[in-house]
Amino acid sequence: MEQAIIAVAAAFSIGITAMATSMAQRAIGSAGVGALAEKPELVGSIIILVAIPETLVILGFAVAAIMLIG
Amino acid sequence: MIIEMSRVEIIGLKIFLDKTIQTLHDFGKIQVDDIRDIPDLMIQPFSPSEKMKREREETDLRIANINGLIDTFSKTVKTKKIEEFHGEKLGSYQITENVADITNQIQYLNNRKKTLQDELITFSKYMEMLKIITPFIPEDTKNSGNATIRALIHSSQTATMTLLANQLKLLTNGKFEMITAKVGDETSAVIGIFPLELVAQVEGFMKDEKVTQLILPEEYAYLSTEEALIHIEDKAQMNHEELDQIEDRMKRMAEEWLPKLRFWLLICKDRIDELETFQKSGETDYTFTIFGWIPNEDYKNLEEILSSKFSNKVSVRKIDIPKQLRGKIPVKTKNINMVEPYEHFVKMRATPNYSDIDPSFLVAIFMPIFFGMMAGDVGYGLVMLLIALFAGKKVKEGLLSDILKFLKFGAIWTMFFGVLFGEYFGSLGEMVGIPPIWISRSESTSIFPLLIMAVSVGVGHILFGLLLGAWNAFLHKSRNHMFERIGLFIGVVGLMFLVGTMTKSLPGGFKIVGWVTLAVGLVTLSVSLGVSGIFLGPIEFVGLLGSILSYLRIAALGLASVFLAEVANELGGTIPSLILGLLIAVLIHVLNIAMGILSPTIQSLRLQYVEFFRRFFQGGQSPFTPFKRRVK
Repeated sequence: MEQAIIAVAAAFSIGITAMATSMAQRAIGSAGVGALAEKPELVGSIIILVAIPETLVILGFAVAAIMLIG
Repeated sequence: MIIEMSRVEIIGLKIFLDKTIQTLHDFGKIQVDDIRDIPDLMIQPFSPSEKMKREREETDLRIANINGLIDTFSKTVKTKKIEEFHGEKLGSYQITENVADITNQIQYLNNRKKTLQDELITFSKYMEMLKIITPFIPEDTKNSGNATIRALIHSSQTATMTLLANQLKLLTNGKFEMITAKVGDETSAVIGIFPLELVAQVEGFMKDEKVTQLILPEEYAYLSTEEALIHIEDKAQMNHEELDQIEDRMKRMAEEWLPKLRFWLLICKDRIDELETFQKSGETDYTFTIFGWIPNEDYKNLEEILSSKFSNKVSVRKIDIPKQLRGKIPVKTKNINMVEPYEHFVKMRATPNYSDIDPSFLVAIFMPIFFGMMAGDVGYGLVMLLIALFAGKKVKEGLLSDILKFLKFGAIWTMFFGVLFGEYFGSLGEMVGIPPIWISRSESTSIFPLLIMAVSVGVGHILFGLLLGAWNAFLHKSRNHMFERIGLFIGVVGLMFLVGTMTKSLPGGFKIVGWVTLAVGLVTLSVSLGVSGIFLGPIEFVGLLGSILSYLRIAALGLASVFLAEVANELGGTIPSLILGLLIAVLIHVLNIAMGILSPTIQSLRLQYVEFFRRFFQGGQSPFTPFKRRVK
């Protein structure tokens, strides 16, 4: 039972952070594509902006991994 | 590597200005500064003659026309070819003549095309209606001796039309016949047939009664419905044929002229550059002055060229870089071939500052390694290497070419880490008895060592970045920045000691060393940040820890890739049909390889841009753009 709860908690940890990341990336990505159409030289900055929210899901992954390993 | 630049001043007799600009253009290694943008300079900017102004306007117009033609032709032919004439260059007059001639031809063809297309739209409407009406016309009336009126009406108007028909019968002494037929749920076709000599009388009546007829173009108006349909269909066919001919001609013209137009565009742009350089220079009654930037290594060469061409009539000398221009020194980087794609990756983020470290070489080392750590599969690496080698032969320039060059090295590292993890298209290696040298990522016990590996890589990468940042700050004599980075560095080292003692990797005695080092680091960091450092210091440190944890993506992406490969092998194995099983496994592996190229590329680039560069790289200075001919 305890293992099942840990597994569900790990799934939530990844799932919720993944959703948060995707919501942030959706907004940044669509704005970024608009900006790129106007100024293609911004590609480096846009990659950074789109990639920044991914830290959320990576942290979610870290928490999930700690729960599963611990 | 950032090339050392010199600021130069070229002074000469004004009569040689034109020739000097041509020489500098041919030389192609000097960036000319606009004299109007240099502060505190007591030199009058060059004022162009009326002839020059007119030439500028004409060249701008020529460029606009050429661009218009290139746009038109690019829709027809997909070629990036530029036809170069190595003989005598075309003069501006000849280019204008040629462009005007091509423009006229294109305008004629476009107008004709539009006319034909408009006609086709009209014809299709006529044909549609005539095809509906034709089956309802009685056989005995299908000759040209009779005139016909045709209309499509709403079904509710049928009774009114019958009344009208009766009136027309009276008007024509019984020589009018009307047929009504339902052609849809709510539409009826009405066809009135009567002798040709009564046309004016009947049409006048229909007009008075406001019945909207299907009026055919004049040439078909007096033909029977069937004959009119045949003629219109023939004409539509002829229009289609002519349109095809126009398309063919446009294609032939595009193939012939597009490469030439691109070449002429370059000639015109070169001339614009020259005209702009005139305006960037300064003048007195008898002399001219040009300021610019030149790579140090090319200065001697320029000196020799000017001296041999103009003896002492035009001279160049190095001058001190004014304080207010030190932040505007154009940046030229030079790296070995292997590092070039990474130079472009760095510039995608920002051109390095003149006094900074060029991180291209470091990115060339770390980016493929991180890629390999994430993808880590011998089979995938081999496929990626083949893709990179094959596609690299086709794609010679642009971002895709840079990515393919990077992929070659990334693929080699992927194979290297694949051997460490024992992955050959997922678990296929293990199935045939090839064990991992280090750990198998597909086993649950490997997750912890993988996380440790990822965090260790992060710590190493970020500490290295902090050292570079401290060195950069030292060079810039920015004491606060230097201590900020040193503080962060010491703090992270202290934290590592603590983690080492907690995980029993280090003896317990290091715990105190860890706490002391961490405290020293935090104090140094806080002091460097000034009064608000007591709050900002710890926040900055926690932010740095977030950056280190960000490297966990190396482990996360690797795990995602290895489990998808497992799914491919397992799913393929469960299907009874060998061919179908193989097909499914191959499809999933292909998907995994595609994702394995895309995702690790972006993630490894992101780790450089966001986590590594942030520690030492500022960038944002203008790149070196020499005054160089596009057409030699």
